[in-house]
Parts: sequence; C-alpha cells; structure tokens
Amino acid sequence: MIAGGPRTRRAFLARAAATVPLLVVAPALLRAQPSSTVDMAGDFYIPVRPAPKPNATPSLDGDAINTLERTLACPCPCTLDIYTCRTTDVTCTNSPAIHRDVVRMVDGGYSGDEIVAELTNVYGERILMAPRKSGFNLVAWFLPFVAIGTGGVAIAVLLRSWRNNARASATLMTDGTVRPIRAQGSDEEMARLNAALRDDSR
Amino acid sequence: VTLVGELSLWVAILMAAWTTTVSWAGAYQRRPDLVFSGERAMYATFAFTLVASLGLWYALFTHDFSLRFVSSYTSRNLPSVYTFTAFWAGQAGSMLFWTLILAMYGAIAVFVNRRNLRHMMPWVTGTLGLITLFFLLTTAFGANPFERLDWVPVDGRGMNPQLQNPGMAIHPPMLYLGYVATAVPFAFAIGALVTRQLDGEWLGAVRRWSLLSWFFLTIGIALGMWWAYVELGWSGYWAWDPVENSSALPWFTGTAFLHSIMIQEKRGMLKKWNVTLVVLTFLLSILGTFITRSGVIESVHAFAQSSVGSWFLGFLIAATVLTVILVSTRLKDMEATAELESMVSREAAFLYNNLVLVGIAFATLWGTLFPILSEWVQGEKITVGIPFFNSVNTPLGLILLALTGIGPLIAWRRASTANLKRQFATPVAVGVASVAVLLAFGMRHFYAIVFYGISAFVATTITLEFVKGIGARMRMYSEGLFAASTRLVIRNRRRYGGYIVHFGVVVMFAAFAGMFFKKDYAEVELKQGETYSATDPFGDTWTFTSQGMSRYKTLNREVTAITLETARNGKPMGFMVAEKRQHFDATGATTFEPSTEVAINEMAKQDVYVFFSGLLDAETAVLHIHFNPLVVWVWMGGFIMAFGGMIVMWPQAQQRERGYVAELSPQHEGVLTGAGA
Repeated sequence: MIAGGPRTRRAFLARAAATVPLLVVAPALLRAQPSSTVDMAGDFYIPVRPAPKPNATPSLDGDAINTLERTLACPCPCTLDIYTCRTTDVTCTNSPAIHRDVVRMVDGGYSGDEIVAELTNVYGERILMAPRKSGFNLVAWFLPFVAIGTGGVAIAVLLRSWRNNARASATLMTDGTVRPIRAQGSDEEMARLNAALRDDSR
Repeated sequence: VTLVGELSLWVAILMAAWTTTVSWAGAYQRRPDLVFSGERAMYATFAFTLVASLGLWYALFTHDFSLRFVSSYTSRNLPSVYTFTAFWAGQAGSMLFWTLILAMYGAIAVFVNRRNLRHMMPWVTGTLGLITLFFLLTTAFGANPFERLDWVPVDGRGMNPQLQNPGMAIHPPMLYLGYVATAVPFAFAIGALVTRQLDGEWLGAVRRWSLLSWFFLTIGIALGMWWAYVELGWSGYWAWDPVENSSALPWFTGTAFLHSIMIQEKRGMLKKWNVTLVVLTFLLSILGTFITRSGVIESVHAFAQSSVGSWFLGFLIAATVLTVILVSTRLKDMEATAELESMVSREAAFLYNNLVLVGIAFATLWGTLFPILSEWVQGEKITVGIPFFNSVNTPLGLILLALTGIGPLIAWRRASTANLKRQFATPVAVGVASVAVLLAFGMRHFYAIVFYGISAFVATTITLEFVKGIGARMRMYSEGLFAASTRLVIRNRRRYGGYIVHFGVVVMFAAFAGMFFKKDYAEVELKQGETYSATDPFGDTWTFTSQGMSRYKTLNREVTAITLETARNGKPMGFMVAEKRQHFDATGATTFEPSTEVAINEMAKQDVYVFFSGLLDAETAVLHIHFNPLVVWVWMGGFIMAFGGMIVMWPQAQQRERGYVAELSPQHEGVLTGAGA
C-alpha cells in the first residue's frame, strides 16, 4: 500500500473531497460542490510573526515548546505533528519554519494558548492535531461512542428478544442436564431424559 | 516480451468479460456448457494476467525506459531485488499486481469449489470475473504500466529511497494478498444471496477464505508497522495515517466476522449480520484502495494524484448499491428462529466482541473521513491526528482485550454462576495481583496499569485453558506432556489455534502499553569523541560516544554514517551506526531528497533507536535518541498471531480420531473426566 513520495500534490483533492462516500451520507456528499478550491500545494507554510510584547521574556522552555509542538499538525501531507515532523522528516521545510515562528513568539512573550490562537487565526483549525472539543467538532469525538452505545443497547434488546424466543423450549444446563423453563414433562419424564443424557455422554 | 505482456493485458480483459457473461448466463439458463466455459475463462484470465505481469517484470529487468512506469520507478543502478519490487512501487504496477493476485485467487476459488458448491459457483465465478474485469479495465485505462513515453530516457528516475527496504519486498504482497482475498468471500456472499443458500458448504468456503484474508492482512499490517518503524525515523510504528487506517479497517470487520460466523455454524443465527460483515469487509478494502490511490486524503504514503480514484469511487458505489438491493430482496431467506437461553453466554460475548470490533472500525473510519465532512459542513479543513485516534480507540481496545479473555470462558447457551466463579477466580486474581505488583513498583500511568492488569488476566485464562486441555488428555489417553500438548492443538486446531492468536494479541497489547513510557532525547549534538548520556525508562544510564563520521559511496547512494559506542551503566553495549543517504542515478546526478537509516539496538526490554537528523557543521552530528520499551514484542505478537492463524487454517483430515474432550466447553470436561477442572 505504500508507494510514491510523501510530497505528493493534490489538485484532485477539492473535487474528490466532495464525493467521498461516507457510506451513509454519500448521496448528500455527491450533490455538494466544494465550497472553495483549496490549493493544498500552495499554502503549506504561512509566516506567523506577531510583534513581540514589550519587555518580553521567553514564556516557555525547550521541553514546553516540544510539548506544545506535539499538539500542532504539520501542514505538509506527512500527517505528523510539528515536533515529530521537524525532528524526523529531513525533507520537510514547513515544520522547521513553523518551529522558528513558535520560538519567535515564545521569545516575544506569548503564552502557549496565545501561540495556538495566533496560529489558528492564520492556518485555521487544521493546524491542531485533533479537533477542538467544541461546536461541530464535538461530533467527531462523541459520535463513535454514541454509535457504540446505541449498538450496545440494540444488542441488549436483541438478546432479550432471543431469550424470550427460548422461553418455550427446554434448556441445556451447564451441568449437562436438561431442564425446561416452563415444565412440559412430568418429573419422571425429565429424570429419564437426564439419565439418558448422562449415559450418552459417558 | 514486453509487447506480449501488454497484449496479454488486453486479452485478459476480454477473458474476464467472457468469464462473467457466460458464467452468469450459464447459471441463469442452467446450461452446464456455459458454466464450464466460464470456469475455463477464469483460468485463462489468470494466465493472461500472469503473462502481462511477467512482461512488466521483463521490462523492469531489461531497463526498458521507454515505458513511463519503468523510467519513473527504477534506474540502472537500482539493486536487483528492488528492481523486482518496483513492480508494486508505483500506481500502475501495483494495480496490475493487485489484478494478478485477484485473478489468481479467482482461479483457485473456482478450481477448489467447482464441485462442492456447483449450484452457486457460476454466480461466484461471474462475480470474481466482474471484479477482475474492473481491475483490468482500471489498469488498462486508468493507470497502464505499459504506457510508453515519446522518447527514451538514458536512465530512470530511480526508486524512492524509503521504499528501498527489505520490508518492502514482502509487506505490499502480504497486504495485497489479504486485501484482495476479501473479494472471494464477497463473491461467495453474492452467490449465496442470488441462490438463497447461506448454509452448509457455503459457510466453510467463506470462513476459509476470510481466514486466509485475515492471515495475510495480519502479516501485512505487522510488516507495515515494522517498515514504518525502521524506515520513517519517527520512532513509532503506528501513526493512524489514513493509509494505515484503511489497511486496519477490513482487518477489524474481518476479525468480527471470524467470530460471529461461529454463532451461525453452531446455532444457525445471525445470517444477515454475517453476510453484511463479509460485504462490509470487501467494501472497506475497496474504500481503503480508493483512499490510498485517489489522493482524497492526505497521507504520508498515498500514491500520486490520478484518475484511478474516480474509477474506484464508481465501483464502490456500484458494489454498495448492488449488495444493498440483493440483501434487501432476500431478507426473508435469512430469517432464523433465534433463541438464546441466557444473556450470559458465548453468543452474547461474541455479539459484544462484534460491537467493539465494528465500533473500532467505525471510529477509525470516522476519524479518517471527518476532515472531509468538516470541510463540507463548516467550510474549514481540520486535522484528525494521532491524539484523536488514541483517545477514542484506546478504551475500546481495552474492552476488546478484556473480551478476549472473558469470551472463551463463557459457555455456549448459558453460563451458570457457579461455573463463572470457577472459571474466573484464578484469572481475575492474577490480574489484580499484577496490578498490585505494578503499583508497588511505582507505576502510576493509569492506562498502562489497566493494560497490564487485563493482559495478565487474559494470559491466565489462555494458560488455564491449555493446562486443562493437556491435563485431560494426559489422564484420558495416558499421554506424556509433549504428546498431549501437541495433539491437543492438532486435534482441535480451531479452538487452540484461536487461543494462540489471542495470546499474540495479548503480547501485542502489552507491547503497545510499553510506548507509554517511551523516552526521547531530541537534537543531541555530538562531535567526534564527545559523549552524551541519557537515562532510559528503566532508570539505567546510557552513554553514547561518537566515534566520528565516515563518508563513502556504495551502489546507488552516498552514505554519511556516524558510529556511536554505547554503554549502559558503564557496561559496553556495542556500536550503533546511523546513516544519512543521498541517492544518485547512473549518471551521478542526485535523485530524491536525502534519506536516513536509523540505528536500532533491539533488546527484549527496549529498543535504543538513534536517528541521524543531519549535520550542524562538518564536525557536529545532530541525533535524536529514543528509548522505546518492549517494541520487539509487537513483532513477536504479530508473529504469534500469524502462527496461530496458520494452525487454524491448516487443512484438517476429514476422518480422524475425534478428541472428545477439547471439543466440548470446559465445564463439560469436568463431567467427562470425572474431575473438577
């Protein structure tokens, strides 16, 4: 499944993006036209260089910067975070550039949250590794659990109805004997049946 | 020879079209002559696809750069093993490779089942022919590896250095073998739906092929993880990249199917659900291909943009619509009187196993596609990366792991409270004890503790199952320990092979949890003779002393290598060599961006992983040093799973002495052997 380079361009993206079958919502998606034609090749790196705050001192140390950069997505197609990308992908120019901007803002006295805010202003939410838990993006976080919860309830209901189906018939008990849930045979008949079963399994 | 190959591709298209037409016509008109013709056409399709593939291999090895494919992915100085693997290094070749495997499977499926499922086979053959036809057409018109250039370059562009890795020789074929094999159960499902026979022999055929697909997918995914780990340099093996996700999706649903099919075998229930899972697994493998090849979703190893995406989208929609119609018109035939004696039973456990597996598949698919949905709904593209998948799938994975231990202990139909107590007492005690031990040793990572607690529980249940089974055999047949354990497994391959797979899963999960304790040292600058010391997750101190750098040319690349002398707590641990490579073509011109080869010291406890990031100046190397606990156990877990899968798949002789004991659920063993388990 792996071929081609990591630097592939995607002119195809905008058109195809509207046509991916989300299995259920495929027809709706098929009708939709792309809202904007995003040229993914063109807008990888955008400088984010707000003016430093007066009398600024660096707001974060090196480890804190690394931690912050782990929550930021590299805009190149590597799908890695800025920290991982800039430390491992020697060919990516985006992540080192964003790293320099981050360091510049840290030196300019910006806090972690302010840096994230500045970056999202420019890049949009795609600069975050995971969607914020707010607004429409809540759907991303909770739908899987909602779906599984619903499935769990559905299975419970299903199992209950199956058990009700079984109410009328006899049951093989775990000790190898048969016992009707509603008595259908006389005690003597049941004893004979269970004796036969015991003999059978010897 | 290349030309013959090219022509064969076109003949194969005609053959595949013939396969479908006459098979379906023969089935419809009940004409055996047409059905036989369809069977033979399937063999012919395979033969011609094989010739086409040989033609491409010939072109690769003779460096026929007049072919766009050959000049795009190889060069004269490419080592021959990679010239061989270049077949699947690019879009067009990998399409042909995919088709080759599909045609091969088609021919095998037809050959093996042509007698025993005579009624249904023409439909199966026709469906396989149709899928093959689609792939052949996509190859010929969407991405033709035999496409010629207007001129013949002196040398080709060479292969992406990241693909020049031994894992690449075997990972894509394994993954394709797994992916493509999902087409066969799908074809059987179509055949069964059309002929309204979802029982008997059909079950066996579908199960075997699903197992085969599962087996190769497991190996393929594990090898993919290994490749990512050693080649991409970010010291991890799973990044929830869209392509990784799309390989995992059919694995999840296929695994769900392999469990739920047992309910149908034993109880005749869940027919609709099982057919749905078979179809879903195939559609997900096509969706995965679409994601990989269309460039819809950004990924580290997607193929370049191409028109193939629209072909796949069309096929996906057509196949979905077709199966939805088929299933909905045949719901009546799949009715079964479902009865269940108790909510606490193996059947219920399997249903919840299915829920979790399909839930994980859904969450993964959802996260993979959410950026597109988000762009559509809110007009803004967002990233759904590793943190999302980890936080959603980790709890689900833990539930799944727990079910791995719980499920096999619960009896079919009904489990009594006394029985449950007896079964679970020891495993739960071991699980709790291991949590206590970990806490006592100062482990405070919540998820890690839960991971290891559940792992210990599951491992104990599996061990006890083996102990009981072996013990029963030793008493009943007076066998020795070795004879009893091998015969136990051989006589009950499905059950004990399954346990071995489960054990592999436990090993893998335990290894995953190790990465919670990973320690990274980034941007370490070292001059020759300088020493860097770092503490590993176990508290030991490692020193890395630079022995200096060397530069040399070899084959198709110029290598800059740094040699490190390592020691743990002062005790020498050998040398590690990390490389940076600049590839060049036969004329000496550089090709591709520089790449790196990491140095890994693999030990049972942890991997020491050194990544050569670059040079600060002529003297100073910049390194990233990672301590990755338990990574080797991920590979071991994958190996154990594949081994267990092989045991389950191994064909079993029809007539055999039936080992009675292990065929029954554990609580019956007590009854039979007269001893409490």
